[in-house]
Amino acid sequence: MAATRRLQKELNDIRQSGLKSFRDIQVDESNILTWQGLIVPDNPPYNKGAFRIEINFPAEYPFKPPKISFKTKIYHPNIDEKGQVCLPIISAENWKPATKTDQVIQALVALVNDPEPEHPLRAELAEEYLKDRKKFSKNAEEFTKKHSEKRPSD
Amino acid sequence: MKECKIFRIKCSPSFCIVSMNSKSETDEASRGSEASSSNSDPTPESSQEESTPILCADSGPNNTQDIMKRAAAKQLIERYFYQLVDGCGNPNCDNKYCASSGEARNLTPNEAAAEAIKLFYKEARLCDSLPNKIPRIEACCESSTGNNVNENSDTENKDDQNLDSPSSSSSPIFSENSKAETSQSVYPFEYKKLSNNVAPLTEEKIYELCDECIRNKSPEALISTIARTFTKPLILARSFMKVDNVSNSAKEDKQDKESEAMCSSSDPDKDVDSASGPTLDVASCRRAFEYLSKVPTVQYSSAFVIILATLAEYLQLDMKMSQTLKMDDIITCFVIAFEVRDLGCSDYLEVALPALCNAAEQLPIKGQAKLARIWGEQCKDTLRHILEALQQLITLRVISTNYSAGYQLQDDQNVTRATKLMKIVYYANMISGVMESDTLREEPVVITNQLDPLGDALDHLYPLTSIKNLKQAQPEDPLAVELGINVLDSRKPYIAFEEFYNEPLSDTIEMDIDFANYKTDNSGGKKFSFLKYPFILTAATKSLGLYYENRIRMYSERRVSLLHAVVGASPPMPFLRLKVRRSHIIDDALVELEMIAMERALDLKKQLVVEFEGEQGVDEGGVSKEFFQLIVEEIFNPDYGMFTQQPDSHTVWFNPTSFETEAQFTLIGIVLGLAIYNNIILAVKFPMVVYRKLLGKKGSFQDLADWNPILYNGLKDMLDYVGDDLADVYYQTFRICYTDVFGNNIFHDLKENGDSLFVTQDNKREFVDLYAEFLLNQSVDTQFKAFRRGFVMVTDESQLGSLFRPEEVETLVCGSKDFDFNELEKSTEYDGGYTAESQTIKDFWTIVHSFSSEDKRRLLQFTTGSDRVPVGGLSHLKLVIARNGPDCDRLPTAHTCFNVLLLPEYENKDKLQDRLMKAISYSKGFGML
Repeated sequence: MAATRRLQKELNDIRQSGLKSFRDIQVDESNILTWQGLIVPDNPPYNKGAFRIEINFPAEYPFKPPKISFKTKIYHPNIDEKGQVCLPIISAENWKPATKTDQVIQALVALVNDPEPEHPLRAELAEEYLKDRKKFSKNAEEFTKKHSEKRPSD
Repeated sequence: MKECKIFRIKCSPSFCIVSMNSKSETDEASRGSEASSSNSDPTPESSQEESTPILCADSGPNNTQDIMKRAAAKQLIERYFYQLVDGCGNPNCDNKYCASSGEARNLTPNEAAAEAIKLFYKEARLCDSLPNKIPRIEACCESSTGNNVNENSDTENKDDQNLDSPSSSSSPIFSENSKAETSQSVYPFEYKKLSNNVAPLTEEKIYELCDECIRNKSPEALISTIARTFTKPLILARSFMKVDNVSNSAKEDKQDKESEAMCSSSDPDKDVDSASGPTLDVASCRRAFEYLSKVPTVQYSSAFVIILATLAEYLQLDMKMSQTLKMDDIITCFVIAFEVRDLGCSDYLEVALPALCNAAEQLPIKGQAKLARIWGEQCKDTLRHILEALQQLITLRVISTNYSAGYQLQDDQNVTRATKLMKIVYYANMISGVMESDTLREEPVVITNQLDPLGDALDHLYPLTSIKNLKQAQPEDPLAVELGINVLDSRKPYIAFEEFYNEPLSDTIEMDIDFANYKTDNSGGKKFSFLKYPFILTAATKSLGLYYENRIRMYSERRVSLLHAVVGASPPMPFLRLKVRRSHIIDDALVELEMIAMERALDLKKQLVVEFEGEQGVDEGGVSKEFFQLIVEEIFNPDYGMFTQQPDSHTVWFNPTSFETEAQFTLIGIVLGLAIYNNIILAVKFPMVVYRKLLGKKGSFQDLADWNPILYNGLKDMLDYVGDDLADVYYQTFRICYTDVFGNNIFHDLKENGDSLFVTQDNKREFVDLYAEFLLNQSVDTQFKAFRRGFVMVTDESQLGSLFRPEEVETLVCGSKDFDFNELEKSTEYDGGYTAESQTIKDFWTIVHSFSSEDKRRLLQFTTGSDRVPVGGLSHLKLVIARNGPDCDRLPTAHTCFNVLLLPEYENKDKLQDRLMKAISYSKGFGML
């Protein structure tokens, strides 16, 4: 399993670093190319819950970028109903093989905390976010309470 | 009297021919008297030679005659020079261009040289002879030093220091020779003397002369200096030398030794001093000529044209006849001449450029190779310039000439010579671009064709069938061999290959004639064929050549079948007949083709005839078109498991873990070959590397760019990474991972113990190359070899590889990709009573233009049996819309083999639209209506 030497190393590094915003990392022993983990945002309205994501690494990793999808539903202009997320750092055009997964995760957490309505995947949410932030926050909070996972206690 | 003299000027070339033929000095000495004697009584031969002395590379059939004309022109210019400087000696001379008449103003030798060229161009009057000019000479010299200093005395003085002004050196000779009976004998001698005293040009010198010229508003000094240098190739070759050429001379040395070793037998007088000798500073030369543009062109261009033409003629003569110049010098002269900025301007196009092309034609292969190397390595910027000028020349000739059966495009030497020169540019262009090592070659496929004893015997009897024997020995281009260049190795040429296409030429050319020339040329003929210069022809035109090739081969196969029958042997099928069930198209086709491939592989080269069981369609091309379409759809379906889809690049690739046997892939190769061979366009989306591999070049890292762009970018990023911590950052070993069609991850060690071998700065290139080698070659080796074998079975003898680049093969296979229905409308023809003005036709186009591209695709599919655009665009489709009776309820129908759409004259637009949509929506199958 050693084309994944780097992945193994990255996984160990992330686990050791004890990231507060990305926890509960689960990797199937038989397939190190798929990771699951819990995103724990700090900013409202998402700080009421946690969101499970899946990271899929291609066989050619790190020469091809990983893909991230949300397993937990989230009310967010940059994440669509299917859980697909548009993260520039792992887009085909921008991907740099030297980029580490923890950088990717940090970028993702930052995006969740601070939506970028300029590049929306869900235009209607972006519009709401820009025009009526209060309403957006209220909806997002309700949505988060309803659908998101429990935040880890510590 | 005057009449007579003009006539004499015109016929004078013939006199020169006489003296040219006899080499002895005495002959030259007696030329004057001979000329004057025949002057009063022109002989019939001389009156035949009435053509005006033209420097331009004429298309005259007789080459030596051309050369002699040029030699004559040179001598004429000399005569004008002496007439201007010394006069004819006749005290009653009334020629205003003669010094003896007193009407010509006194000229310095430089001015005179320039004036002489002008006079020659004007065909000015030339006096009979120049008997006693001794008295004039003194005066002339005095005046040139005395009176004439006024304008450009500065340069004159400098010139004198440098060049040892011709007049001062000449006067003693003249006085010496005054004792001789005819003073004309001194010309050649004196001329040589002159040439030895001319200094090579330098960048600074040109600057100086240009400034001078601008200041004085007179280009005389400039022109004469250039003229003197350019007419002496030996001096010209020493111009624009590198000041510091230590490093270069070493390089040159090496090159020279190489070429010397290669051509020592053919060129014995190429001696050693050129190896250590000076080299041309191309950049300096270019700067100098660029500076020339500061001088208004009108002032010097016409003279410059003549100068260049004269140089060309000199070089050509030297190469063809005397061979006194070293090859290096000649090439240097070419390099300098082609640095001239204005080569593409009209004056140059008509005279100077053809002359240069003509001279370049005389270059031996080794010389051409050397020129290509110099251009490729040092003159990148000039390449485009030369190419454009040549294209202009060719286009101009092609457009302005009416070619006929008696005078074909291939006979137009202006065009063919320019094409030959363009080949040098073509190779230089590859040299200056990105080349890859020629080690990455696919192994050649060896096909042991079943022997056909009767066929072989017939080959000897009938030359038509022996064409295929000729094809087997594909002669490689000698220049490519000399340079060791293969177009397959050119990864990125400096100028895009498309810019070498000459469209007017490609449109004008009669491909059947060219193809015939191509074939006869193979057997030692001397006819020119553009197919030998495939870079200048567009893919569409070349595919026409391929079409003739294939047709001839098909007919020859048919003929052999016929002869088999006549001789009484069991008559083989004249066609390659396939009978398939629509429901089991792949199985049936593969089984049949497999049998044929095993038992009678030669049959694959027969014309394909497909029959669908239970359908009445007669295959005149249309049925086989649909057959290919269906078979390709099915084979490339990922569910079939032979090919995988590459989502990133929307291409298909061989499934490395395919369960199918090799034979299956061979059959796919056969199908692809048959499609090219039968001129059918397929909807396959292979990445370019497949075509490169088919033509014999292995896949390499660069090919990943279109094979899988994301992976390529990732790997490239690593190559670009400069930090020493590469191993830590990437943590990549020589073990890689890939996914098979079922989503399983499979590991592969690129090297032994790859798992423990980390990629570092030192071995990253090796890693990338091995990675690409694995993905593109190794992992699909079995599948691809089988595939290629099948492909080559059908196409081996055709000229595919020598005529087409991989990109062009792709267009042959898949057609080009845009639907331009406006183009289609323009090229569509009408039949059966329709015209472009018919209401139904107008409605038809309105409807069609409003179609979605999917409907357009289906309309194409319906009318032509293929939804791909043919090579060269939709205008090459030759769609015919024919009237199929008055208004009725029948649907439109189509003859896909002839691209004919049969359209009843429906009563209104709505009905037309309705019927048309119905027809294209339910369009699979053949039958009678």
